[in-house]
Amino acid sequence: MIEEENNEVHSISFGDYIPSAAIVGAIFGLVSFVIGLFFGYQQINAEPTGSFFSPIMFSGIVVCLLTSVAGLLAVWHFTKEVSQKIKLGQGAVLGFLTGAIIAVFSVFLSEFWILVIDPEYSEKILSATIANIEVMEMPESQKDAMIEGMMESLEGGQSILRQLFIGIPVSGLLNLLTALIGVKLFAEKVEESF
Amino acid sequence: MLVALCFLVLFSLGGGIWGAQSTIGHWTGELFQGICHQNPMRSYYVNDLQMAVNSRCFGVFIGLLIGWISIPLMLRAKVKKNLLLWFLLLAVIVQIIDFAGNLIQIWENSNLTRLILGGWLGFATTSSVYDLFQTNN
Repeated sequence: MIEEENNEVHSISFGDYIPSAAIVGAIFGLVSFVIGLFFGYQQINAEPTGSFFSPIMFSGIVVCLLTSVAGLLAVWHFTKEVSQKIKLGQGAVLGFLTGAIIAVFSVFLSEFWILVIDPEYSEKILSATIANIEVMEMPESQKDAMIEGMMESLEGGQSILRQLFIGIPVSGLLNLLTALIGVKLFAEKVEESF
Repeated sequence: MLVALCFLVLFSLGGGIWGAQSTIGHWTGELFQGICHQNPMRSYYVNDLQMAVNSRCFGVFIGLLIGWISIPLMLRAKVKKNLLLWFLLLAVIVQIIDFAGNLIQIWENSNLTRLILGGWLGFATTSSVYDLFQTNN
């Protein structure tokens, strides 16, 4: 009986992870893109206040917190749809995959937005952010360093591959961690040997 | 996982240890720009350059690493399973209270308080799963 249960856990193939990772990843990728866009246009249309709590900063915090929960939810979905029994390592894979899909989805949506809908979005958001930095109460040297870094980043351009290379590891790792918590909360305990 | 967390902490130190002229625009800065506001007034500095994440995020990363390293110790100490989940929940609530209190100017948090509270959250996150490493043997 125990052997059968263990076989069920071991028989999970890579393809079994995909539906949960894809559904949750796509939803969270879309939501994070929409939130980023919403706050982005708020930043573009707002007068520079010099406040650190600018719309774009809120966007970063909200998107970070929101997308981190995706790993946990992917495990929840997996336990509902595929198998109640999921090992810690399998949860980690699922979480990382979910994070990777979020990064891929948001990058492609952003590229679509910039290429098709609003080609000047990046420049507008950069101008608005720089205008806000310029009226911030901080040493001039810090302001200059921030603005210079932003300009360099934009001038250098960011290919889709570079964005993915940069976006996937951190998003994947954060979701991996929350997926581990998901395994603890939603999965049936499986005896493992370490 | 341990290696990934070590790299996370290492890269979060920013461009200062890589001889960059600025962290913003450097690959370390780009790595974390999607998850951290990278406010120079709220960051620590390494070699006169701001780190790639602010003090709270750096605290979270350090906490994640320490929590992960502590798992064997917690297994030996046989810490109550659900205690750490409550510890995590409390850490989340305290972050929200701290952020909100600062936002509506009831108090002003500092780099040190953000580092400590972030560290608490990170530690609670990784340590909360320690019991999944427990075997019957």
